Amino acid sequence: MKVWAPVEYTGVAELRGPLIVVQGTRNVGWDEYATIVLESGERRHGLVLDVDRDIAVVQILEGTGGLRIEATRVTFTGSPLHISAGTGWLGRVCNGRGRPLDGGPPIFGDDSVPVAGFPMNPTVREPPAEPVITGVSVIDALTTLVRGQKIAIFAEGGLPYLELAAQVAAQAHTGGAPFNVVFAAMGLTHSDAATVRDILERRSSAAELTLLLNLADDPVIERLLTPRIALTVAEHLAFVLRRHVLVVLADMTSYCEALREVSAARGEIPARRAYPGYLYSDLASIYERCGRIRGRAGSITVLPVLSMPAGDITHPVPDLTGYITEGQILLAREVTSYPHIDPLSSLSRMMRAGVGTGRTRPEHLDLAAQIQAGLSRARQAGELADLVGESALSPIDRRYLAMAEAFRTRLLVQRPDEARTLEETFDRAWDVVSTLPRSELSMLGEEALEAGYRGES
Amino acid sequence: MRDALAPLAEALSRQVEVDTTEITAEAEKEAAELVAAARREARNVLADARADGAAQARADAVAERVHAERRVRHTELAARREALDELYAQSATVVRALRADPCYPRLLDRLSALARNAGGTDMVVKEQPDGGVLAEGHGRRVDCTLSALAARAVDALGAEVERLWAP
Repeated sequence: MKVWAPVEYTGVAELRGPLIVVQGTRNVGWDEYATIVLESGERRHGLVLDVDRDIAVVQILEGTGGLRIEATRVTFTGSPLHISAGTGWLGRVCNGRGRPLDGGPPIFGDDSVPVAGFPMNPTVREPPAEPVITGVSVIDALTTLVRGQKIAIFAEGGLPYLELAAQVAAQAHTGGAPFNVVFAAMGLTHSDAATVRDILERRSSAAELTLLLNLADDPVIERLLTPRIALTVAEHLAFVLRRHVLVVLADMTSYCEALREVSAARGEIPARRAYPGYLYSDLASIYERCGRIRGRAGSITVLPVLSMPAGDITHPVPDLTGYITEGQILLAREVTSYPHIDPLSSLSRMMRAGVGTGRTRPEHLDLAAQIQAGLSRARQAGELADLVGESALSPIDRRYLAMAEAFRTRLLVQRPDEARTLEETFDRAWDVVSTLPRSELSMLGEEALEAGYRGES
Repeated sequence: MRDALAPLAEALSRQVEVDTTEITAEAEKEAAELVAAARREARNVLADARADGAAQARADAVAERVHAERRVRHTELAARREALDELYAQSATVVRALRADPCYPRLLDRLSALARNAGGTDMVVKEQPDGGVLAEGHGRRVDCTLSALAARAVDALGAEVERLWAP
């Protein structure tokens, strides 16, 4: 409901860092959204962090630089942040709180919805099904994304995980079904943001993508809003407009660091590595907004991307994310070629529901299992070769080493601007398994082998 | 003695001829292989250079297209923004014209009541030269000037504003 005569509070008692303390307020609640008007007429925005009787503590999203206590006016909206939801978001580039960065007007929509969202009713959830094709061979072949799934990309330091996330966002599709991407970038440097924008430009121009950019020098509290705004936009596209939506959240480690900072500002008791004790439930409140709803055509697939501090997978952020997500794609430094995905440490737990006859190819699961088994054997053979030398290995072990090399060159290595079709990926996957003798391919059925095996029997 | 060595000399001579032919053939073969390898290498270098050039040209074309698309998109969005700004400006002008309306004093009474209702009965209400009223109290302020109300009216249009640029 439109408020025609909003009350502006002028009793600013204190400015401290990004916080202002407003006194004399009435009926102000936690997390309420506020507008702050400066002496110059400039408008800034904030969130209520704390309330005690008539005193409200507001964190200013754009910072407090240039504010004067005696000339600042604060208006509270009466509710947490809402956004307009609709197709107006497609093709737009906004900052972390949904304000346009592309020179266009604000985004309008038919519905005003709270960005905090509502957890999906578990009784109306449909299990994930049908694939999202990313155009990245090793993901499509071995860790297929399934519509409605949440699967994380974990990356060791220094690896181009943003490029991979942007490549997936630029290339992904669901066959002929309506498909959109919402890319929420958090804590990015300006150069990383420029790279991501360049990679996503074509899809953005085609009005298939929404890009939210929260930069490293943006206020941390804005970073807490960014994934929620992305998911709110996605929910409308998926469940009202019945599209399939891929939400890429990169980098969730930056998000968690922002959560830690805000938690400290609120004076909350810190838990493991100073992250708040509710980090797990906070992450779940984001990741669990994916899924499908019975009787509706759309879906939300969530792809959180995390950089692992010091490459530590037991760090609270990847650790707690791993508890919630349904699988992970691990980027490791030992894999020296882009996209650096370690196939033996990567897993899509929902893959069974997304591949096979009528979805990808009938032999997909068996072929993926065969490649994984072959790579596992090749790893053992490689370790043995380190001890005794490759010449001392049995001929069959040497074939497995050759298979691992074929996997690397034919299937894994891919240019960041290269989109491979499912047919091409399967063609390459069969090339890989065909380096092994047919007698070794015990996981593949006769029919599949007849159709796909190209080696010498 | 000379005759006795003649068969040996003849044999040696023949052997030399055979060796010469063989060495010459070998040398010719090696030379041909070297030339063929050099040609192959040259062809590969040329093919690689062509492929690199083509890839670079494709990449440049993509980059150019991306920049062009970004420029077009930016121009379109900037035009929408201008249309919206114009709507705000025109709405403010039209609403401020209400000052000349015979019903304006009644409007001021209504706005004063609205401001007191929102901010409290202790608010001091003052008429503003631009039209409308501004109410101020202890630590509170309610802006019911005509310009502010016009802006709020445009805000309240929501998605209807998109009709400005809808085809």
